[in-house]
Amino acid sequence: MGVNSPTALEHVLITTKVEKVINWARASSVWPMTFGLACCAIEMMAAGASRFDFDRFGAGIFRATPRQSDLMIVAGTVTYKMAPVIKKLYDQMPEPKWVIAMGSCATAGGPFDSYHTIQGVDKVIPVDVFIPGCPPRPESLIYGFLKLQDKIMTSSIADRYKEIFEEVG
Amino acid sequence: MTDPIDPQAPEAPEAPAGPYVYDYMAAPNRQVVLPKTVPLPSLRTYQAEVAAAAAADEAKWQKQLADFEVAKAKAEAEGKDAPKPPVRAVPRKDDNDLKTPWPTEAKDADLLKLQELLGGQVEEVFEQAGERVCQVKKEAILEALKVCRDEPSLKYEMLADQSATHYPAAKDFAFSIVYHLTSVSRSRRLRLRILVPEGFVPESACPLYPSANWMEREIYDMLGIRFANHPDMTRILCPEDWEGYPLRKEYPTVGLGQRDIDFRDDRGGVLNRLAMEKAGQMGINLKQPKAD
Repeated sequence: MGVNSPTALEHVLITTKVEKVINWARASSVWPMTFGLACCAIEMMAAGASRFDFDRFGAGIFRATPRQSDLMIVAGTVTYKMAPVIKKLYDQMPEPKWVIAMGSCATAGGPFDSYHTIQGVDKVIPVDVFIPGCPPRPESLIYGFLKLQDKIMTSSIADRYKEIFEEVG
Repeated sequence: MTDPIDPQAPEAPEAPAGPYVYDYMAAPNRQVVLPKTVPLPSLRTYQAEVAAAAAADEAKWQKQLADFEVAKAKAEAEGKDAPKPPVRAVPRKDDNDLKTPWPTEAKDADLLKLQELLGGQVEEVFEQAGERVCQVKKEAILEALKVCRDEPSLKYEMLADQSATHYPAAKDFAFSIVYHLTSVSRSRRLRLRILVPEGFVPESACPLYPSANWMEREIYDMLGIRFANHPDMTRILCPEDWEGYPLRKEYPTVGLGQRDIDFRDDRGGVLNRLAMEKAGQMGINLKQPKAD
């Protein structure tokens, strides 16, 4: 038995930070929004269905309203007409909220260097994770989601309000 | 300026990259190449093409004959053997199944009936690949549609599709508008066509075929052809504040995705206009008084 051996108290107690617990809770129950724009939505549905089972990571509950969801998976081409709608939906989501740009269209416009397509959804809303692919397989989406979970776990509550704090001084 | 071959010449420092901004106005693919031809199927054009090809072939043959006569006279004068007489080239037999079917004279009873009823309003009738096409004068499209719908021997009850095409290379017209009619009771199809110049306002088909409503809005949205007597001549696919008409050939297809996005609710002022109209109907003047 060395110096690091747990004491009797530590056998029954776990010490941690509140922030970490909150992050753990947030990362383990991310509710995505039911929001498909194009063919990537099919892969997103496949990721949510039984074979790939998004629910294993706590993200299986696709909410039909932005007001109950934490994660917006932008799955598909973002057209110029759709952009204000996406912005509005994003604004309706409660904090904390995250965005995954799924597929090359949502990432950078994809093959549509055209008159109607926004060249990446990051022109409209802030994006946390970009997933390339046309369309990305459900594994890719799951990998991107795990990366998002890592991001949530390493994030600090202060991060999101850092700018506000800096503004206030 | 330094000699670019001189290895001692110091290279000019590159400009700082700075924030990366895609200059979409200078995108190389943004240049538009306008078509030079008018690929509009037409019996008259096809016949003119065939006649021109035959005339060119005949002229070539006559030139070959004349050349032969000259060569023969020259050989006789020089005491040599006479040259071989020319052989007219037989056009190569082309059994390609994938050839575009060419337009033929109208033999169908529907087309003949239409020609008889409309008389001088018909510009052209032909059949191509078993499809009936009738081109009418652009002012007479409503009359032609009415005949097609109401005539008991025609009875085309349904306007299945309506579309338009831009032909920038054509001289006396700019757009062709095509009406695809379907007779459900007789299970037949007919295609009506008008050719309109830029700025012409054709009659809307909405009074006869209600299905023309959205299709005409789409034509207006994509090509900028306005229709007279249409109940709601607004854009249908593009947002209301869109500039230009995307299906025109001079519209760049590439590099316009980068643009400023307008996040206002009422992007084209349509809601504002509707509110004004409603208020006007209720006798309220919502308009702000002008400064002067």
